[in-house]
Amino acid sequence: MKKVMIGNHAVSWGVLRSRVEVISAYPITPQTQIVEALSDMVADGSLPAQYIKVESEHSAMAACIGASIAGTRTFTATSAQGLALMHEMLHWAAGGRLPVVMADVNRAMAPGWTIWTDQNDSLSQRDTGWIQLYCETNQEVFDTTVQAFKLAEAVNLPVMLVLDAFFLSHTSEPVDVTEQEDVDRFLPRREATFKMDTSDPHAFGALVRPDAYTEMRWHQQEAMREARDVFREVEDEWEAITGRRYGAVEAYRADDADLLLVTSGTITSTARHVVDQRRAAGEKLGLVKVKMFRPFPTDELRGLLGGVNRVAVLDRNVSPGRGGIFAEEIRAALYDVPPDDRPILFGYVLGLGGRDVTPAVINDIIDNTRSKASPEREDLWVGVEL
Amino acid sequence: MSDHDVTRPKEIGRNIPPIAISETSTLVNPTGSWKYIMPRYEDRVAPCNAGCPVGIDIEGYMYLISQGRVKEAANLLVRENPMPAVTGRVCHHPCEHSCNRASLDEPVAIHSVERRLGDMILAAPPIPAPERTRRETVAVVGSGPAGLACAHFLARLGYGVTVFEAAPEAGGMLRLGIPEYRLPRAILDRQIERIAGAGIEIRTSTRIGVDIPWSDLDVFDAVFVAPGAHTGKDSRIAGAEGNEAVRPGLEFLKEVNAGARPDLGSRVIVVGGGNTAMDCARSALRLGADVTVLYRRTPREMPAIPLEVREARDEGVGFEFLAAPMAVVMEDGRFTGITCQRMELGEPDESGRRRPVPIEGDVFFAPADTVLTAIGEDCDLSFLPESVRTKWGLIEVDPVGESTSTPVFAGGDAVDMPRSVADALGAGKRAAIGIDHYLREKAGEAVGELPLGALRFGDGNVSAVRYLEDGDPIPREAPVNEVVTWDRMNPHHFHLAPRHEDHFHDATDLRAAFGETNFGLSEKEAIEEAERCLNCGVCNRCELCLIFCPDMAISRREDGGFEIDMRYCKGCGLCAAECPRGAVTMTREGI
Repeated sequence: MKKVMIGNHAVSWGVLRSRVEVISAYPITPQTQIVEALSDMVADGSLPAQYIKVESEHSAMAACIGASIAGTRTFTATSAQGLALMHEMLHWAAGGRLPVVMADVNRAMAPGWTIWTDQNDSLSQRDTGWIQLYCETNQEVFDTTVQAFKLAEAVNLPVMLVLDAFFLSHTSEPVDVTEQEDVDRFLPRREATFKMDTSDPHAFGALVRPDAYTEMRWHQQEAMREARDVFREVEDEWEAITGRRYGAVEAYRADDADLLLVTSGTITSTARHVVDQRRAAGEKLGLVKVKMFRPFPTDELRGLLGGVNRVAVLDRNVSPGRGGIFAEEIRAALYDVPPDDRPILFGYVLGLGGRDVTPAVINDIIDNTRSKASPEREDLWVGVEL
Repeated sequence: MSDHDVTRPKEIGRNIPPIAISETSTLVNPTGSWKYIMPRYEDRVAPCNAGCPVGIDIEGYMYLISQGRVKEAANLLVRENPMPAVTGRVCHHPCEHSCNRASLDEPVAIHSVERRLGDMILAAPPIPAPERTRRETVAVVGSGPAGLACAHFLARLGYGVTVFEAAPEAGGMLRLGIPEYRLPRAILDRQIERIAGAGIEIRTSTRIGVDIPWSDLDVFDAVFVAPGAHTGKDSRIAGAEGNEAVRPGLEFLKEVNAGARPDLGSRVIVVGGGNTAMDCARSALRLGADVTVLYRRTPREMPAIPLEVREARDEGVGFEFLAAPMAVVMEDGRFTGITCQRMELGEPDESGRRRPVPIEGDVFFAPADTVLTAIGEDCDLSFLPESVRTKWGLIEVDPVGESTSTPVFAGGDAVDMPRSVADALGAGKRAAIGIDHYLREKAGEAVGELPLGALRFGDGNVSAVRYLEDGDPIPREAPVNEVVTWDRMNPHHFHLAPRHEDHFHDATDLRAAFGETNFGLSEKEAIEEAERCLNCGVCNRCELCLIFCPDMAISRREDGGFEIDMRYCKGCGLCAAECPRGAVTMTREGI
């Protein structure tokens, strides 16, 4: 069934198709439409779920954690400050190995007060133990929502699916909504691995001494490692049903390229367009889209970027005092590539607080990357006018 | 150097779980030992109930409706109030004035629910007459609401009852004083038939002291006296005596209510601000007159039911406030109207209302063809023996209606102030219980003191269901006779819902229309309205205590109620705090 819908509603439809049992959320722009549509679905009975209204995002995540411990499939959505307020609870969900799925609509952090997109909200939660999946289109948003539950429940880790504010959240695109019976085949009812059982009650999140804490973190890390393979299997299965797959990392016209752009989110679509134009003019240019940020697709990126002459990483985010966060992670991943194969890496910080990243901007970046022997600084800020 | 690679996990069979979960069941930790207070389910009294002069278990029947048990709700209602179809229409519903829901949005329209249940009962087949189990007989003087209620409950208690009524038909002030447009005669007749049909003999046209002597009542083992108040107070209008244009309003009402349609002329003044005044004004309006109510205080002090005042105003009755009648004005031997004294409000009097004080020299003329006076009624108690003591024109009684002359009991308008149908019904019920207790004691039964406190809802009236041990259909947990005030409620779990207002007739054309003006609510609307009830003080199995208990110490019992596992309840008090209706109490007792 094809429908034209905004990215936010693509999430809602994904949640509906996934037969989520408990939703708890607190409204925040630009996310609110996700849970607004879900509350309608719950109210009119089309989604037989419990919708728990709460007084903050911290409580929303706490409610999801409780519901997840009780064995249900749970969902929430948030943005920016709301996600930041959840921070403590994000650790509880991940450390408790609970397959909560959350949509984060990427919104820049205040102050200055802003509702527009960049990735600093989700990337600030990098070390909480959540799987992070960044989306490029509304179709991908729908597909990833459904896949997220399957992945989360297979490895007992929470999944954050991420979409750009306004460029996806409020922009309409055609979305092929997979039929319910197909989704049901793909995603059966949750079978909880660790579940609160009132007839045999146990304490969850109890004190762990130094002689066991490391082991628990080891299990968590192993689950993250496992998630890379499981995601591939999830995509295989989804592709068999829908014909669509995205990959943890996607290479676009990369085969013989001497320069590769690395992007995530909606900047990818603009960059594809620029690649097509410059390819047509004979330039050996390609693109690598990073969808999965945690667990980090180290091997895939080494394979794709190793041996390429130059790499330009486009970061719609910044770690103040360092630079673009994707660029940092990729630099670290490429350290083990033999020096002869190691590309010259240019990191660009751009598009913060929703500033538009146009084909002209990307063209400038490509020209700059080709024209310089090496970057003068680790973090190159694009289009700053003082 | 160790042969083990420290960077690889060593399998030594510790089986560390992937999450921090306790190895043993938490049941080994009886957190109940922490508590210094503990919860207890204790059903309380809803304020509506405490405010009802009849002692109707309103919260009980509302609970039953909420459980879909509408028939049982109607039965519970009629077991406490023998004439709900009447009170649902004419009671001033003090229950609604005390309804906790007023603090949330608007009070529950209890009267509308009562009326609908009352009509359902009238439509259903009558219940069989109660069995005569006592050899004693009781005489009841007067068949108004007090007399009929007393007779009804005495019959249910197994006594033989004979009611003596001076008028040709039973009903007392319900029939004589209340106009048809408020209480259709078909409803009243059927309601009285129901009561009389359940083992009561009613002798109409039998005025004690006129048709038969008081001494004829000596053959009865007890007498309940409820003669009502039928003599209009003197209006003290100069020149009114013997003037046919100035009439007691109650007399006019009796005429109209008996079917007469007297000619009052085109302009009528009604003197007074109570319900009789409103009934006179609206009845006169229906006979084609232009009607003005003359009241010596302001709208705030009017004793009439506010809805009656509003309806009168909507129908076109005029009001002249802060004015008192002075003297009849005659021109050429013909009555033309009255002079009136303009008043202002002074200091509060003993009733708490501000006393009207004349404004010196401010007098005006009000033209009229008829003046109806409705400034209160007195009782004719001349038929009573002297041993029955009276005070200020009212019979003196104890809390169960016993007069100073055993075995005479009394109630209704001849006893109570203020006067209302509900107060009369309550007095009748109380007296029936008092008479039963007296007769049992006299018969040598070991009855002890009458446990009035245990029969009451709050400080309100007594419950017949409790006295008759008639099987309370409401599963009450350890009931406590304490009224639940709004501050005991937890409003966070309630949703706003507008009150269902009664449907009214079109007030624009009612000349000569004595049809009912208030159509009440449909059955569906009445049930929806009942569902607005917050069930104050009554556990309605909402489960919030169970949901909120952090120790999962609360579980369902087989009978639908809850039990608390005190081995694990650590006394946090969340159940009591979350209970929306004040049915859980934290206590130190039993620790």
